[in-house]
Amino acid sequence: MPPIDTPAVPPDPTAAAGGRRPRRGKVTHFLGQNVGLVLALVMLVAAIVLYCAVYWAETQSLPGNFELTSTVNNTMPLVLAAIGQSFVVLTRGLDLSIGGTMDLANALAAVHIHDSPGSMVLWSVIVLAIGAGLGLVNGLLVGVGRLQPILATLATLSIYQGIAIKVLPQPGGSIPPVYTSVLVNPFQPYALLYVLLVALVWYAFRRSRIGVAIFAIGNDEQSARANGIDTVRARVTSFTLSGLFAGAAGLFLAATATAGDATTGNGFTLTSIVACVLGGMNLFGGRGSGIGVIAGAFVTTMIVNILFFSNIDPLYQSFYEGLFLVVAVVLSTAIGRFLRRSR
Amino acid sequence: MAKWNAALLQPLERAGLNRDRRRILYAFLAAILLFAVGEIVHPGFASPGSIGAIVMVASFVGLVAAGQTFVVLIGGIDLSVPWVLNGASILLVTSSLGQDDRAPWALLLTLGMGAAAGLVNGVAIAFLGVPAVVMTLAMNGIMEGLTLGLSGGLTCGACASYAPPVVADAVHGSLFGIPSALVLWLVVIALVSLLLSFTTFGRRTYATGNNPHASYLAGVNVRLITILLYVLSGLFAALAGILLVGFGGQASLGMGDPYLFQSIAAVVIGGVYMLGGRGHYLGVAAGAVTLVALVSVLLAMNMPDYGRNIIYGIVILLLLLLYGREEAED
Repeated sequence: MPPIDTPAVPPDPTAAAGGRRPRRGKVTHFLGQNVGLVLALVMLVAAIVLYCAVYWAETQSLPGNFELTSTVNNTMPLVLAAIGQSFVVLTRGLDLSIGGTMDLANALAAVHIHDSPGSMVLWSVIVLAIGAGLGLVNGLLVGVGRLQPILATLATLSIYQGIAIKVLPQPGGSIPPVYTSVLVNPFQPYALLYVLLVALVWYAFRRSRIGVAIFAIGNDEQSARANGIDTVRARVTSFTLSGLFAGAAGLFLAATATAGDATTGNGFTLTSIVACVLGGMNLFGGRGSGIGVIAGAFVTTMIVNILFFSNIDPLYQSFYEGLFLVVAVVLSTAIGRFLRRSR
Repeated sequence: MAKWNAALLQPLERAGLNRDRRRILYAFLAAILLFAVGEIVHPGFASPGSIGAIVMVASFVGLVAAGQTFVVLIGGIDLSVPWVLNGASILLVTSSLGQDDRAPWALLLTLGMGAAAGLVNGVAIAFLGVPAVVMTLAMNGIMEGLTLGLSGGLTCGACASYAPPVVADAVHGSLFGIPSALVLWLVVIALVSLLLSFTTFGRRTYATGNNPHASYLAGVNVRLITILLYVLSGLFAALAGILLVGFGGQASLGMGDPYLFQSIAAVVIGGVYMLGGRGHYLGVAAGAVTLVALVSVLLAMNMPDYGRNIIYGIVILLLLLLYGREEAED
């Protein structure tokens, strides 16, 4: 472990930029700027290789179409939840209500979506709008009400979960097979198209005016305000986007399970944070890439698959996940520091 | 509106009630208000026996919240509380096997386990720069996996043991007519308040919470303080686990889960500033009583599960907004 000469404070983003350091090569510069993204992609490749290895050891064959399809389908809710979380993480916040919003979306979908195409489209839109509305409430509480994001969303988590249980008291309801096959086709990995779509949406967001504003307030809110950015609006938008994506995640969760359950979304609050961290998002705001977050979501799912095929007692699963999370964060911090120092 | 507010606050200021002290006052007022509401909707709610039972349950939340207060005071958070608490309760019964002569060692072992979990949290946060949210979240998973794995999902032979009678009796007994869990909590309230307000350790904690960099330059060993605070948090979670298993007799899986939300909510209602540097444990103790009283009122009203969730969230939001408003006008 390299000696650290500063106390335990968030690394000062200006420290790396200032000073009279010699110029670095282009590749090193890119690596230093995007260390989180690069590490997330490396982790994803490593996870896939390891998965293929343990799969081979177990079945003497390589994973095929079925494994790819089920992995992509099972990861879709997490991809959407994690992207939603990342908008808020960019502003130095955390959205703990994502699980509650997913629960409500899941419950509404199971109760209201029927076989007719009209009800599928109509209720999908309504659920997405409700998700965005719940996010808007969070955003107003944080942006206008000036509450701490963790506290406001902790309280709304309880409220949203309560409403979800009211909508669907017992697990049940049903999702028409057509709806499932459109969102998460069980036979072909068509859901990869949605992953691509999410990546494109992220790219558009990153280039948009509001995207720049959200990155700016995450880096330095006062400077952003001084430069004419409406910080309240940017913050409210980030939470609204988070709610919208959580709503979509709830729809995908219902489609994968083909039935509703007002509690299955709960775990996604924490796993979405894990996926963001593994995807190289800086929890202190203003840095990160949606592509990395998507990779982080897949790594999170792959770890479970790898543990399954390595015959590890499932009771120990959270132990290995926790250990992996710490090791990944410590390593990526160390490598990032190394890359920024070296030329 | 602002003028009206200022007119109301001025006499309070003059009486020596600065913002932090007012927040403690609000937390106590909220608790008293809830007892009054409870008495109206359910006569007998504010009887001494019922208040005693509520404060007794609040003491478990209060102990966990003591640990949470320590780390929140430096702008941290401890998400590993649920499974440190749960692991502690299971470790106590499996290591003591319900026998009194093994109890002292089992207690030491259990408290040591809580401290060790906190130590790992603190070291990773202070030396490796892992964000507190990530580290304690991972520690919660690690403790969950270890607890489930080592106890075979609570199927091991020793897992069905009861808490040693000496521990159970201590929790259920009373001292000078006051339930002993409550006595312990009062002692903890006194010790924690003294520690934070009248010792160099306490002053350094507040200093670190206000500005870690300035504190470091002023000669505070920020890393040591950080580690000690997380150790204290782990220790208090383990202590709550011991008391809970003594109270209920046997350990179960998931018994720590409610304490994460409640400990953080108690800290907030108690007026501790989430970014660190401001707040007192006295307010947090009142916050714990407020929370448990709120749940009890809703239960007394025969509120269904979902309604309790919703009202619980709304009340916390309202309390937060009350504090937030004042924050802006100060």
